[in-house]
Amino acid sequence: MTAQALCAARAGVIACATCGLALRPAAPAHAGHCPRCGDGLEWRHPHAVQRTWALLLAAAILYVPANLLPVLVTNTLVSSQPDTIMSGVVLLYTTGSWPLALIVLIASVMIPLGKLLALAYVLVTVQRRSAQDARQRTRLYRTVEFIGRWSMLDVFVDTFVVALVQVSPLMRVEPGPGVVYFMAVVVLTMFAAQSFDPRLIWDAAESGERRDAGSR
Amino acid sequence: MPEAASDDALPQATAVPPRRARFSIVWIVPVVAALVALGLAAERVLSEGPTVTLVFKTADGIEAGKTFVKYKDVNIGQVTAVRLTDDFAKVEVTAKIAKSASGLMVEDAKFWVVRPRISLSGVSGLSTLLSGDYIGFQAGASQNKARTFTGMEVPPIITDGAAGAQFTLNAADLGSLGIGSPVYYRRLPVGQVVAFDLSADGKTVTVRVFVNAPYDKFVGADTRFWNASGFDVSLTANGLDVRTQSLVALLEGGVAFDAPPSGTVSAPVAAKASYRLYPDRLTAMKQDEGIATKYVLYFDESLRGLSVGAPVTFFGVPVGEVTAVGLSFTEKTLKVRPRVDIVVYPERMIANLPSVQEKLAETMVKNAATRHAIMLRMVEQRGLRAQLTTGSLLTGQLYVALSYFPDAPKATFDANATPPVLPSVTSILPDLEAKLSSILAKLDRMPLDAIGDGLKQNLATLEQTLKDASRVLDNFDAQVVPALKSTLDDAKSAVAAAERMLTSTENNLTGAGAPGQIELRNAMQEISRAARSLRILADFLEQHPEALIRGKSRDAPPSSREAPPK
Amino acid sequence: MPRVVCRCCDLLQRLPPLPAGGKARCVRCGQTLAVQPADPLDAPLALAVAAAIALAIAYTTPLMSLSVAGREATTTLPGGALAMWHAGNQVTAVVVAFCAVVAPACYVALLLVVLAAVRRPPAPAWVGDAMRWVDRLRPWSMNEVLMLGILVALTKIAQLATVFAGPGLYAMLAVVLLLPAIMSTFDAREVWKRVAWADGTPAAALAREPAP
Repeated sequence: MTAQALCAARAGVIACATCGLALRPAAPAHAGHCPRCGDGLEWRHPHAVQRTWALLLAAAILYVPANLLPVLVTNTLVSSQPDTIMSGVVLLYTTGSWPLALIVLIASVMIPLGKLLALAYVLVTVQRRSAQDARQRTRLYRTVEFIGRWSMLDVFVDTFVVALVQVSPLMRVEPGPGVVYFMAVVVLTMFAAQSFDPRLIWDAAESGERRDAGSR
Repeated sequence: MPEAASDDALPQATAVPPRRARFSIVWIVPVVAALVALGLAAERVLSEGPTVTLVFKTADGIEAGKTFVKYKDVNIGQVTAVRLTDDFAKVEVTAKIAKSASGLMVEDAKFWVVRPRISLSGVSGLSTLLSGDYIGFQAGASQNKARTFTGMEVPPIITDGAAGAQFTLNAADLGSLGIGSPVYYRRLPVGQVVAFDLSADGKTVTVRVFVNAPYDKFVGADTRFWNASGFDVSLTANGLDVRTQSLVALLEGGVAFDAPPSGTVSAPVAAKASYRLYPDRLTAMKQDEGIATKYVLYFDESLRGLSVGAPVTFFGVPVGEVTAVGLSFTEKTLKVRPRVDIVVYPERMIANLPSVQEKLAETMVKNAATRHAIMLRMVEQRGLRAQLTTGSLLTGQLYVALSYFPDAPKATFDANATPPVLPSVTSILPDLEAKLSSILAKLDRMPLDAIGDGLKQNLATLEQTLKDASRVLDNFDAQVVPALKSTLDDAKSAVAAAERMLTSTENNLTGAGAPGQIELRNAMQEISRAARSLRILADFLEQHPEALIRGKSRDAPPSSREAPPK
Repeated sequence: MPRVVCRCCDLLQRLPPLPAGGKARCVRCGQTLAVQPADPLDAPLALAVAAAIALAIAYTTPLMSLSVAGREATTTLPGGALAMWHAGNQVTAVVVAFCAVVAPACYVALLLVVLAAVRRPPAPAWVGDAMRWVDRLRPWSMNEVLMLGILVALTKIAQLATVFAGPGLYAMLAVVLLLPAIMSTFDAREVWKRVAWADGTPAAALAREPAP
């Protein structure tokens, strides 16, 4: 077994992001195109950290109205009841369907928050060139990337509740202003996760180790 | 010990190439999916019902994709699109009808929008407030399919499925009828007015009514319909007559029907039979007169109060009516004669005859020659004349009465003239007037003053008599009564003594001593003395009754003294 | 040649290379020793066809309908996005439409195209482009999230009205089951092996595995 892991970039091998073909770059600066699939080759995602931070911040800002503004407005003959995400969860819980309440809670509250925090944590550790727990961090990143889409659950629920409960004047459900913001948060965090390059974690870990080794 | 073996020494397993080309079991999945999809598509295509176009004036309450078409409360279709017609005058509503209801889409099917409505017949469609407006449907009877319909703006009165029959009535005017006005039979509401329309020539109004089952079987070929709206007031020679069907009819108007009083109820007619709508009950129930003979009457007096339609009576029985009231003017002599045309229905005369006579009468009536001969005899021999009579003093309405006047001057009757002239006599009205005026004159002549004076005198005398009477009574009170009183006191003491005696007798009489008996004797004597004095008084009064009034004179001795009692 | 032992008769024998879909039988007793999987791209293709049909059904048939107080309302999947649009939330409508309708449809369509094209290698170079798009669309085709969302919505509505599931719902469920199945049987490397290289490398060169 090799004593030291060799990453392809150091070995001068670049892998095509699309088809996985391992290639030698055309030129160090411009890697060129993959001969098999024709896709552009890149060592790492360009400006990954910057982009991810930008998208993350935008998502964090929009997270506030997403949770404060109502996502659903129920108009009945006698009342007009707005519901935010949290109040919707509470409503589901109090009406007895606590499994649904749990699902919506996880999908709409915990996952977005978790994503924001996780991505922020990863970014920070990459920027600080932290060398510890690179594996866990990668796993964390993978989890974030994987479960990100599940936050769209609430948006779909709202869509179909609105589409179906149109029995005016008895009851009519309308989407509230919060839906757009919530959806923006989900989409932005998905883009943020996509724009981040997990290889940077390992790059950062390596340079961190070297720095630590060098400083000793 | 295991043997070592090199590769070449080992046998080679048999390679079996795949039997079939490339169809692994996985392909079942898409096959199943394809089958399901085909099934769904086929079901959709097969269950596709027709698309109909409805034209309404407004799309109020109709929403594409939401509004349903309901029949008997079952959804039979849904609106798919709403748009304006090309000339922007109306609204075109496209609806998809379920396959199961496609047979209902025939020419005379009706569509209308059900929304909350308030009308004469009540509030309807309230449930649409909750459930949203929908398009109502009524099936038609035609056999021809249709795909385009004109929607009605107002829901039809009858919801189909209601058993009953529709009839058409022709009237001169609508009266106060409206859609929803009730139809009555014997004052029971049995149906309603469904529609009305002006006829093409503008002269009559056709009113369509719907009579619910089971009352529709009472509508026969003979049935008469009349307008029963409001009050039916008639002021005729018979007096004031007020009829009304019900409060509703008062407010909403109404139609009533009944069989004419000929007795037989004819067979029920087919629906949509046509009838005449009479203006009132009286006109409706008029029997068709069979034979009608016309006569002319001339009078020499005022005809004021005689109106067309006034009855002609024969010995009080109505047998005809006045058809015209007018003047006949002769230019040459400038003579004006009031002229009355009447029509007589001989059949009415025999209507209530006992059966024996009926047969006889019938032949008389039916045969014109016999009739004429009889009329001739009645006029010339018995003195049949026409006379104007007051029907009601209150209104002054007159009618014509035919009767025998044996003292009337002779007259001839020419049965062949058209129309024949019936001779007449003066009415008693002028007589009545004369009588009244003579009574008034008599009243005028009465010496009321003299009568008044005499009465006064008698009253004075009476007063005097009364005064005397009261004086007598006073005397009586003052003098005679004390005398009576003292007599009564004596009597009382005598009785008391007797009582004492009786009580002491219980003590004494058993011992029966002489004192008891002596006392008894004494008492008896007392009593007899009292009785005697009473008798004396009575005798005295008998002889001198004026003592009651004048009092006893002081020195008047008792006029008789009886022998002392033994 | 690898060795294999028969389970039934214990005979030690060599395992020859097998054709795709072929079997190896024991020489002595006939027991099946090994099965060579058929074309590895067969299964995903079949499932992709099924998924395409199921998607078509899911998009065109009613998803579910509700009935309350005599009123009925029904919706299809695209109808849901449309309702969002009509309710004034156009942005949400567009995104929902993309994630729920466009992305899965394109994903499955491209997959079908790719899989059909590589049945006869070498597939033309544009297949490579298609593969790239397949990869990009994958995170955005949120069928399973949609499914759960519909179920939650259904449960929420069922509290106030009678809800009926339509064929669209079951079709969506089928899609949600099929797509992971496709993913698990899909071997991207196999596809790439059969695609003509973008730079025009002749097919003969494809015989060898590119390093590493």
